[in-house]
Amino acid sequence: MSFLRLDNVVKRYGDHKVINGVSFGAEKGEFVVFVGPSGCGKSTLLRMIAGLEDITEGDVSIDGAVVTNVEPAARQVAMVFQSYALYPHMSVFENMAFGLRMVKTPQPEIERRVKEAARILQIEPLLERKPRQLSGGQRQRVAIGRAIVRNPKLFLFDEPLSNLDAELRTQMRVEIARLHRDIGATMVYVTHDQIEAMTLADRIVVLRAGLVEQVGAPTELYDNPANTFVAGFIGSPKMNFLTGTVTAAETGRVMVANANFVGGSLVIRPRRGGVPKVGDMVIVGLRPEHLDLASPTPALQLRTDFAENLGGATQIYTQPKDGEMITIVAQGRPKITPGETLTVGVAPEYVYLFDERGVAV
Amino acid sequence: MQTTLGRTLHALGLTLVILFTMFPFYWMVTSSLKDQSDLLASPPVWLFVPTLEHYGEIFADQKVVNAVINSLIVSVSTTALAVLLGAPAAYALARFEFRGKQDLWFWFISNRMISPIVLALPVYLLALQVKLLDTHLVLILIYLTFNLPIVVWICTDQFRSIPKELEQAARLDGANQWIIFRKIYVPLGIPGIAVSAIFSFIFSWNELLYALVLTRRTVQTAPVIATSFMSGYELPWGKIMATGTVIVLPVIIFALLVSKHMVRGLTMGATK
Repeated sequence: MSFLRLDNVVKRYGDHKVINGVSFGAEKGEFVVFVGPSGCGKSTLLRMIAGLEDITEGDVSIDGAVVTNVEPAARQVAMVFQSYALYPHMSVFENMAFGLRMVKTPQPEIERRVKEAARILQIEPLLERKPRQLSGGQRQRVAIGRAIVRNPKLFLFDEPLSNLDAELRTQMRVEIARLHRDIGATMVYVTHDQIEAMTLADRIVVLRAGLVEQVGAPTELYDNPANTFVAGFIGSPKMNFLTGTVTAAETGRVMVANANFVGGSLVIRPRRGGVPKVGDMVIVGLRPEHLDLASPTPALQLRTDFAENLGGATQIYTQPKDGEMITIVAQGRPKITPGETLTVGVAPEYVYLFDERGVAV
Repeated sequence: MQTTLGRTLHALGLTLVILFTMFPFYWMVTSSLKDQSDLLASPPVWLFVPTLEHYGEIFADQKVVNAVINSLIVSVSTTALAVLLGAPAAYALARFEFRGKQDLWFWFISNRMISPIVLALPVYLLALQVKLLDTHLVLILIYLTFNLPIVVWICTDQFRSIPKELEQAARLDGANQWIIFRKIYVPLGIPGIAVSAIFSFIFSWNELLYALVLTRRTVQTAPVIATSFMSGYELPWGKIMATGTVIVLPVIIFALLVSKHMVRGLTMGATK
C-alpha cells in the first residue's frame, strides 16, 4: 500500500465541486508534484492532505493510517506555505522551535534539532533575527527549516517559490531537490510552474478542474501525454496544435490532411497504436523543439511572423494558414526575415496525434 | 516659494488647532495653581505667583482621596475585564464561522446607539432591586456593557488583519486554539488591545452620568466629587480645577504607558 493515499477524494463548497474524485498514491521517499493552472484545485488538495480543509467525501491515509478526520498536528505532516507564514514576533530560532515546544521537546533536544536544520539550510547566523529582518530567500529557508525540525512523515509545499525572483527561484529549486536527496523524505509539492514540476518531481500529477488528467514521471508526461491538456501543459514553449482530417488510416499509419503540410497531408504513426476512422477530425501535436529548419524531408510550410533571439537559441513564431500561431525553437541564430516562408521538418517519432476530444491515439 | 508658503500655512493651522484643543487644559492646570483673587480677576491674569494651596486642600479632604481610589478600582477592573472578555470574543468573531455571527456583531455595538440617559432610570431601578446601589460592582458591570463592544470591535478588526496562514501554520505545528490565541493573536494584536484598553479606561474614568445616578457616599468616583463642589452659592474654582487636574493625570499616565504598544507593522515579515 502506498505511503500517502488519496481515495476518491471530493471537496465541495456548497454546490460547487472543487475536487472531483481524486485517487492517487505516493510511495515513501517519493517527490510528487501537483501541477495545473490556477483554480485547478491543486492547493486545495494539498490542504486536504494537511488537514486544513475538510474532506467532503473519500479518504486520505498516511503511512497506513486513515487520517481523514484526524487533526492536522496529529497527521505528522509539515507544510511550507506560499506566503511563508512565519511568526513575525518570534526570532528565527523560536519560529523553528515552536512546533517542538508544542510537543514538549526538552530544551537541549530543541537546540540540537534547530541548529542541525539551520546548518543544512545555511541560516545559522540568522537564528536570533526576526522574520522582518530577512530577505525573501532567507524567509523561505526558515519556513523550510520549520518543517524539517519536526521530522515529519510528509512534507507539503504550497507553491513555495512563487514569491521569489527568477534567479533565487532557480537557486531554491536546486536546494529543495538537494534537500530531498539528503533527507529522503516523502514530499508533495504544488506548483503552476511546469519547469519546477519537471525538474523536481519523481512523479507529476497533472490536475485540471479538480480532476487528475495524468500521473507519471516527468519524461513520461513529456513523451506520452494522455491528452492535449497535458501535452500543452508539460513542455516549454508549449506544444503546437494543428487540426486536420483523416484521409487514410491503417494500423500504425494515419494520413492527416491540413493545408500547412507539404503536399497537403502528413503520414503519422500514432504513438498509442490507435486507428482513427477516415473523415475523423484529429489534432496533430508538434513540440517547438522538435521542428527542424534543416530537415532533408520537409513536412510543413509556414510563414514567419517574427523571431526572438535568445542567444543560444531562436524562437520563431509563424502564422499557419488556419489555427493558432506555431512556435519553432531553433538552435543557434538562423537568419529569419518576417513574411518569409519556411519549410520545416519533423521526425516521425515526434509527431503526436489526438482525437477530436483531445485524447491521445 | 510655493512649498515654503504652504509649509508656513500648514504650521500655522496646526498651531491654531493645538492652541484651541490645549487651551482648556492649560487653563485648568494654571487655574488650579492660582489663588482665589487671581482666579476671579477680570481681565484674567496671565502672570501670577503659583500656589499649591488648592492641592493641599483637596488632598486633605478624605472624600477626594477616596473618590480617586474608587475611580481607580472601577476603571482598572472594568478595563481588565473588558480586555479579558473582549479579546477572546473578538478572536472568535474574527476567525470562526458560526450561525448568527453577523447579527451578534451588530448587536454588540447596538447598545452604544442608545443615549445613556435613556437607560439611566431602568438601570437605577434594577440596581436598587438587586441591592447593588452604591457598590463598585454596579459601576464595573454597567461600564463593561459600554466598553465590551468597543474592545470587541477594535480587536476583531485587528485580529482579522493577522494573516490566516499563521494560524494554519500553528495548527500544523500542533498548537491548540487556546495556544494560537495566546501565542499568535494576542502578541500580534497588542496594538488593537492597547487602543481598546485606553478607550475603556478613559471612558470608565471620566463617566459621570451613571456614577452620579448609581452611587451615594461610599463609592463616589472622582468626576462625581469634582462636580459636587459646585453646590449652593459657592464656586470654589481653585478646588474644582485642582481636582480636575488630579483626575486627568492617571489617564495621561495610563495612555503614555500603553501607547508604546500602539505600533504598526507588527506582522511585517510574516508573509511575502
